Amino acid sequence: MAKKLGGNGAARLGFLHQLEGHTDRVWGVAWNPASRSGGAPSMLASCSGDKTVRIWEQQSTVSSSSPSWTCQAVLDESHSRTVRACDWSPNGKLLATGSFDATTSIWEHVGGEFDCIATLEGHENEVKSVAWNTSGTLLATCSRDKTVWIWELQPGNDFECVSVLNGHTQDVKMVLWHPSRDVLVSASYDNTIKVWAEDRDGDDWRCVQTLAEPGWGHTSTVWQLSFNMSGDQMVSCSDDLQLMVWDSTVDPSEWTGNGGGPWKHLCTISGHHERTIFSVHWSRTNGLIATGSADDCIRIFAEDPTNVASSVSFCKVLEKQKAHEGDVNSVRWHPKDPRLLASAGDDGVIKIWEFEQDL
Amino acid sequence: MPGPQKRSSLRQDDIFDAVVDLETSLFQQGFDDGFISGVRLGKDEGREVGLKSGFELGEEIGFYRGCVTIWKIALERDSTLFSARAQRSIDHFDEQLRAYPLTSPEDERLQDLLASLRVRFKAIMAMLSIRLDYSGYPKASSAGEISF
Repeated sequence: MAKKLGGNGAARLGFLHQLEGHTDRVWGVAWNPASRSGGAPSMLASCSGDKTVRIWEQQSTVSSSSPSWTCQAVLDESHSRTVRACDWSPNGKLLATGSFDATTSIWEHVGGEFDCIATLEGHENEVKSVAWNTSGTLLATCSRDKTVWIWELQPGNDFECVSVLNGHTQDVKMVLWHPSRDVLVSASYDNTIKVWAEDRDGDDWRCVQTLAEPGWGHTSTVWQLSFNMSGDQMVSCSDDLQLMVWDSTVDPSEWTGNGGGPWKHLCTISGHHERTIFSVHWSRTNGLIATGSADDCIRIFAEDPTNVASSVSFCKVLEKQKAHEGDVNSVRWHPKDPRLLASAGDDGVIKIWEFEQDL
Repeated sequence: MPGPQKRSSLRQDDIFDAVVDLETSLFQQGFDDGFISGVRLGKDEGREVGLKSGFELGEEIGFYRGCVTIWKIALERDSTLFSARAQRSIDHFDEQLRAYPLTSPEDERLQDLLASLRVRFKAIMAMLSIRLDYSGYPKASSAGEISF
């Protein structure tokens, strides 16, 4: 039951914990999807410029006042350069890590240990993002080499390259799958967002839509994308200091091809960020959008309850200044607990926050 | 000076005109000469560049053709060598190669088609777990991955 927060009361982002250990900037955090499922503790993966990935686990103690976090594992010896991205498979058993060394490693979580079970090669240079689809059968990776690769998980934990997608004219910053369809979106330094879907008749993937100018589009690098819980809306954040919300209801494979494309621009959220917005995440539990920015702030947005127009609009619910001592590179809501938010920064630390709002 | 000057005032203008014209006409002559030798030089350079790019394109397409030929021969001997997906990809790649307008240098699609060929080649290399530089010097990442 998703309880929508974001009413009119005063909102606070309370600092809970700081996870230290990385010796360089932390680029990304990812909550294990199995966190808090069936009594499992919350688990978080973080990746850093120090070439390692750290796995953090929250200990459940008898006094539930503030269970502490410990670093369960440090995954090193796999990447020879910065680890730029990490993503858990939907069942929480596999972790994909993408690195500047142009490879993607796949780790298997078995009984508290993490083993590297595969290394995916193919990109010509730095891998920027990795993403599993909702069924855990496909993994997408993207890189500064302007391509997006799709891999399929085979029996025996083997991965086969399905397709290499060409189209972006610059560095691809992020790839993300739609929550309920095998539709892939990518964001790039070329200011565009591309939507990719599989051809009906084969294993060829092609770009079915490019969200860019002319028409609605960002005017600078698009850094991250995030879907809402149902997947009927998507938010993008950019170096142009804006967030854009898109209507992603239409299934691209059912698009008949008249006028523009299946997805449409819904609204632009601007005027709140002073510097590049590096990260955006739409919570699956509380409907709020969190952003992390180069001005060291975390901001939270909600759908505007006072909006009477037929289109949607968003308002800023809170702004947390100096959330990190440096750029905020990643913000991620907890998959189950609507109050928890994790953030990673250039200061090398991960912070766990608690969102509260008076009604 | 009066008198003779008055009589030859026209001629005086002529003289000046001739001087001005001389400048213009010399300029024009120089320009024409330059233009002609420029065209000749440009043609020669163009021929050189065309030869070079044509050779490079032919070399790349030829390399891909060679790879496809070898892969198909390998599959004839052992059809289980590559996964079904890899085989479909090789077939697709083969079709694209055959359709490549190698003899139409003015075809606008040349660059885009080449980019799409390169990307498909990369995908096939990943499927077969090999790494080849298109320059033709194979650098297999793990020896014995393919056997005939």
